[in-house]
Amino acid sequence: MNEGGSGFVPNPILSGLIGICPLIVVSRSLAEGTIYGLGAAMCALALGALAPLVRAFITDRLHAPATLAFSAVLAIAFGFCVRIYSSAIATGLWIYLPLLAVSGLSLSTLRHGSLLDRSAPDGRSRFAVVALESLMFFLTAAFVGGAREIIGLGTLTLPTPGMEPLRLVVVNISPLRIFVSPAGGFIFLGFLVAVYRSTIRAIRRRQL
Amino acid sequence: MSYLGIVVTSVFASNAILAYGFGSIPVHENERSGQFASVLAVVCVNAIASTFLWGIHSLVLAPIGLESLDILFFTLLVVPLFKFLSRAASFSGSKFISQVGSKADDLIIGSLVFGIALISVNSGFALSHALAASAASGFGYWLVAVLLESIRERLELSNLPRFFKGSPAMLISTGLIALAFMGIDSTFISGLAG
Repeated sequence: MNEGGSGFVPNPILSGLIGICPLIVVSRSLAEGTIYGLGAAMCALALGALAPLVRAFITDRLHAPATLAFSAVLAIAFGFCVRIYSSAIATGLWIYLPLLAVSGLSLSTLRHGSLLDRSAPDGRSRFAVVALESLMFFLTAAFVGGAREIIGLGTLTLPTPGMEPLRLVVVNISPLRIFVSPAGGFIFLGFLVAVYRSTIRAIRRRQL
Repeated sequence: MSYLGIVVTSVFASNAILAYGFGSIPVHENERSGQFASVLAVVCVNAIASTFLWGIHSLVLAPIGLESLDILFFTLLVVPLFKFLSRAASFSGSKFISQVGSKADDLIIGSLVFGIALISVNSGFALSHALAASAASGFGYWLVAVLLESIRERLELSNLPRFFKGSPAMLISTGLIALAFMGIDSTFISGLAG
């Protein structure tokens, strides 16, 4: 999680490929990417906040099942909220809303749950790291959704409430429709990871 | 759709990893997935999990209008059951069964099993169709995992630009395989297999 004790927290999607597969299918538009990213981040944050309580009140053997059940409750509650906020976005996210219970970010928090009441090697609290990772996950999911939608359909669907989200037309054609499909999502994310890596390497070289 | 149509669709057109994004891409070096134990584990876990979720969803939750709670019941009932079964398998004495059990234990908490179970329940299949679809989806996942594993090995030896080595190359390769699988259209399969 922490590279070289420098306080640098890598992007969970672009560096660790955490929760990448469902994200690729879900993030076909800015609205879907944003709401999915928000759900995953909120579940991970809640699990991170709950971890010390679980450790304190529940026996070791039941840590994982209890946290998983709590994660499922969070995912169901978030699903209800999304359905009330915008039924169109909820329909678009389909089974991926309940699947937030086992999203890569939640599972990563669940696996590190036993460490969450201790500090990271650089002195920062583990919960702060989870919070930072969640924020990065949310921002990356929104970016991936928005970028894929613009490249694929030439539009930008805003996560607005109501029956139908607001859709802005950026260009009047669909430049590369393949990018809104899962196949295009994998290819887009492959290039994005390569750009992220080269940027991080350039920053590190400059720091040295 | 016929059983053959469901199986072919679940393996290719609606592949668990390439079409639905369940499971994970083998980016790092893994234990070889091309083993009989792993294919048996992935097929059995998905088939059993989907059967249980189908039962919970159709017989218990749907009559009282609480279908949206299926994921909670799944975590409360099915996950502990699998944990118990995998632990029982490890004490069975047979090396092969304990290998299947340990692979099943690795699989159970993840988007693959949950996702396939939710898909087979939400597709409106009858129990036998849901069972066939989930077992075939598990096999489809294993097939793609083996394919990607061998691509990863070849990519490691190839002369790629530095920033594309590892996960970027794997993601792009996965995208290209997904494109090929997209060519196997479910309408074409239903026309062919009934």
